Amino acid sequence: MHVIVATDGSHASLAGARQFKWIADSREITDVTVLAVISPYAAVPFANELGPQKTARMTELSFSDDARLAVDTVAAEFDGWGPIIHKQIRSGSPAQEIIRAAEDLDADLITMASGSRGLSRTILLGSTASRVQHSAPCPVLVCRPTPQSERALG
Amino acid sequence: MAAAAEPHVLQPGELKRSITTKQLYFYVVGDVLGSGIYVLVGLVAAAVGGAFWMAFLAGVAIATITGLAYAELVTKYPQAAGASLYINKAFRSPVLTFFITICMLSANMAAVGSLAAGFVRYFSGLIGLSEDAIWVSTIVAVVFVAIITVINLIGITESVVANVVMTFIEISGLVIVVTIGIIALAEGVNDPSVLLQFNTEGGAGSAVLAVLAGVSLAFFAMTGFENAANVAEETIDPQRAFPRALIGGMLTAGVVYVLVSIAAALAVPIETLAGNTLLEVIRADLFFIPATVMLVIFGVIAMIAISNTTLVTVVAQSRILFGMARENVVPAMFAKVHPTRRSPYVALLFGAAIVSALLVIGAAIRTSQAGQPEETQLDIVDRLATITVVFLLFIYALVIVACLKLRGTDEGERTYHANTPLLIVGIIGNLAVLAYTLIDDPDALLWVAGLLAVGLVLYLAQKFFGTKKARLPGDDGGVPEAVEPPPLSKER
Repeated sequence: MHVIVATDGSHASLAGARQFKWIADSREITDVTVLAVISPYAAVPFANELGPQKTARMTELSFSDDARLAVDTVAAEFDGWGPIIHKQIRSGSPAQEIIRAAEDLDADLITMASGSRGLSRTILLGSTASRVQHSAPCPVLVCRPTPQSERALG
Repeated sequence: MAAAAEPHVLQPGELKRSITTKQLYFYVVGDVLGSGIYVLVGLVAAAVGGAFWMAFLAGVAIATITGLAYAELVTKYPQAAGASLYINKAFRSPVLTFFITICMLSANMAAVGSLAAGFVRYFSGLIGLSEDAIWVSTIVAVVFVAIITVINLIGITESVVANVVMTFIEISGLVIVVTIGIIALAEGVNDPSVLLQFNTEGGAGSAVLAVLAGVSLAFFAMTGFENAANVAEETIDPQRAFPRALIGGMLTAGVVYVLVSIAAALAVPIETLAGNTLLEVIRADLFFIPATVMLVIFGVIAMIAISNTTLVTVVAQSRILFGMARENVVPAMFAKVHPTRRSPYVALLFGAAIVSALLVIGAAIRTSQAGQPEETQLDIVDRLATITVVFLLFIYALVIVACLKLRGTDEGERTYHANTPLLIVGIIGNLAVLAYTLIDDPDALLWVAGLLAVGLVLYLAQKFFGTKKARLPGDDGGVPEAVEPPPLSKER
């Protein structure tokens, strides 16, 4: 089975990847694709909060580098886990591109985080997660950050 | 099923770019069209006279040549930072790069301010608000800025389809104006000789000066094309896409501008147009749909057009702040992104606060000057917009110089080459308009000096605090610390 692990560079997405790893049985999974989506028209196309934070010179600001870093950090979570790890960076509207990736890769499961806890965040919804759930071609595992998972991240 | 022992294979990160040449073209057209003609046509007409289409023509020509330099540089360095990046590559001077960045930031902020003011003019026209209601219109402007900021916070701007739809709406408004112009020509409303009439008494020399005066205003109408560099990283085949989309888009906008200004000059007397908006053209009631209906339709179109460009400008502004925060030039807090919406909310809110403050201060100054004659009144928002044109002209000239200086370096087989003589004409053009703006309006120098002084203070602060930061690498003031994940306890 082929699983897509989506990351938006947030801590929640890393926590989600760990939750997935904890839930899933690596013997059933052949491939894991770690996916990041850059949205070019947004104010910040991709913001990475994972891995070593370098203070880039602003002239060298590269959102695809940021996305690559986030994908690498999440992919590193699956080191030695078993399945073949693929990395992919796409650009466009996040929900749409995650769904497209699932179609292209014939994925059997999409796993992603739904953002953080808190009332305002619940109202604003992790709308990417809800949109993916609506039209994904396969099951979707939405990881809710819990106090426990946030503590584990330090 | 894969055996757990099988070593995993890390494939090279696959990057799927998404923006096509066509999408980039619409992005450029939409961005350029919304900013200028809806807001500025009256000012340019007042400065030049019936021949103000020449000012737009000259402005478009100079800007498009600058666009050639941008196209060449983007194909060499397809990264998001735009002018700051090119000038850094060419001159390797941190001070210069820093000032260029500050100039771009203040240019963006002033642009948002004057776009908001332009929006209010159409909004007032729509609901019949008097121009003297300074505070009401300021509130409308601030609410407008707030709504644009919220839209960016939520992050709706990522939709490509919305962008294309907005561009078509903008063009449709201008097609209406051109149609009215054709009707006016057929009905002989204004004598076509008005197109060669200048607001001066002297000979050909003063006509050139009149056009120059208009160009420095019309130039503002072409700004926005540089935002295309923002999406450079995500463009498919940038070597091919950029020159086509950027130059094609600017030429399209230029043709539309010239046609619209000719149409406006034909349809209404210049005295009516001077200082007013394109609504005057609609008010002339030459179209087959009654003016009362058209005024509403056109007002809405104009407001959508202005909103579209404001959205992009706010994105560019918060992105500059985000970049500066990443480099620790401004507090790292500005690089914070919202946990779920992934938008730089601190930078967005700060930008909105500055622009709102500008609008309110502007309104306060205008209120205090209510009794004075119109010439001595200071409209700080319009003033800042003209000041930032000075910055932009300088930056554009410098970008062309950077383009020439970087010839022969970082060139690939497919690098786009702009025409060198044209680029030199572009430098001269930018500098001529710059020189004229400064001679015509020496007060501008004071404002420029003031803004540069603010930049200098920031630069010194960065130097001072920047070195301190270098010594204390742990003290990064709020940047989310590196995640060195402790293993989950429950993970086995």
